[in-house]
Amino acid sequence: MARVKAWHVVAKVDDLEKGDVTPVVVGQRELAIYDGVDGISISYGRCTHGAANLCDGYFDGRRIECPLHQGLFDALTGKALAAPARVALRMIDCKVEDGQVLAWI
Amino acid sequence: MTDAVRTPITQALQDGAISRRELKALMQRSNLPAFRHLAIWIILLVVTGTGIALTMGTIWVVPAMFIHGVVLVHHFSLQHECCHYTVFRTRWLNDAVGWICGLIINVPHQHFRYEHCDHHTYTQLNGQDPELIPLPKTVWSYLKYISAIPYVFGQMRALILHASGRIDESEVHFLPKDVQPIVFLEARLMLGFYVALLIACIATGWTGPLWFWLVPYLMGEPVMRAIRMTEHVGRPNVDDLRENTRSNLVSKPFQFLCWNMNYHAEHHYASSVPFHALPRLHKKLDGYIFVEPRGYLGAHRDIVAQLLGKKPRSDAKQAL
Repeated sequence: MARVKAWHVVAKVDDLEKGDVTPVVVGQRELAIYDGVDGISISYGRCTHGAANLCDGYFDGRRIECPLHQGLFDALTGKALAAPARVALRMIDCKVEDGQVLAWI
Repeated sequence: MTDAVRTPITQALQDGAISRRELKALMQRSNLPAFRHLAIWIILLVVTGTGIALTMGTIWVVPAMFIHGVVLVHHFSLQHECCHYTVFRTRWLNDAVGWICGLIINVPHQHFRYEHCDHHTYTQLNGQDPELIPLPKTVWSYLKYISAIPYVFGQMRALILHASGRIDESEVHFLPKDVQPIVFLEARLMLGFYVALLIACIATGWTGPLWFWLVPYLMGEPVMRAIRMTEHVGRPNVDDLRENTRSNLVSKPFQFLCWNMNYHAEHHYASSVPFHALPRLHKKLDGYIFVEPRGYLGAHRDIVAQLLGKKPRSDAKQAL
């Protein structure tokens, strides 16, 4: 039976690493929550190239760099911006309510 | 949850060797240290180049060319850092400077970048690490590698192969079909530049590139081959960064020349940490990684002891 998506609280805003990327595990999913200059966004936490944990990478406020091969992604759209990354990140719809980050998963 | 891929830095974080806060602080980028380092670098090149000019026609031109060559071949260290985007904060500067370095030492930058990705994924694993230098079996094969003759010819052969629109079978794994045109274009541009320069030299009688570039490069490349050996050769062929990579404590001048890449195990642990922060990362990872306190020469004493049978061979571990 297909699982129905819903809004889930995944983190408190106060618990996020300010201006950086925070790792969160929800069930079996590893997520990356970006506290960027354009707001909060969420993607699946693994690089689409070598599956390294993006939360250990360098985040400049807009782009997340993979810690293993330095592939680059847009943290808002998930678009792959530089080699060796070629496949976009899967982004997850998110919103902030009452100091909590909610993800549509 | 994905457990299959655990990068070295994830491992170090889980082992408590470094905290997330410390890692993130070390990852901060800045253009200033790179500009400062590069300015001294250019001055050094001018000084060593002037050394050649002043000694031309005397026997002293030989050591002058060697010294200039040692600096020239260390463009590889700068290129390597650029390939990780850990020299400049401004990302495109890494691409531009890396490409120029590659032109100086015939290491096509985009090709190196893709090859180097697999080196970091499969470090020291036989048949998977495209940059693996096997532990020599004889003194002759050790000296042959350090001579740089096979390396220089191999690089030239690869450039011509790529310029002709082909790749070697061993490159299929790290060069997907859609990136091959980039590698071919890069090789054609580089080969075109080299050929055009050669023709210009022959046509005009200009010998500058020969005495200030090619001959010093050929004289210096054995030094770089010897340094490259110290990074992994003689370490076990196992999937564990605590064992398969060697950091070397070297003198300040060599540390400057190699852009702190003597901290090689630290670099493999966290390849997003910029070159200027590697000495600080070294302190954090003290005791967690393998460090050769006697530097490059100590590493070679280790390698030679293994190939002479005075110590157990490091590659015996994976052969069991």
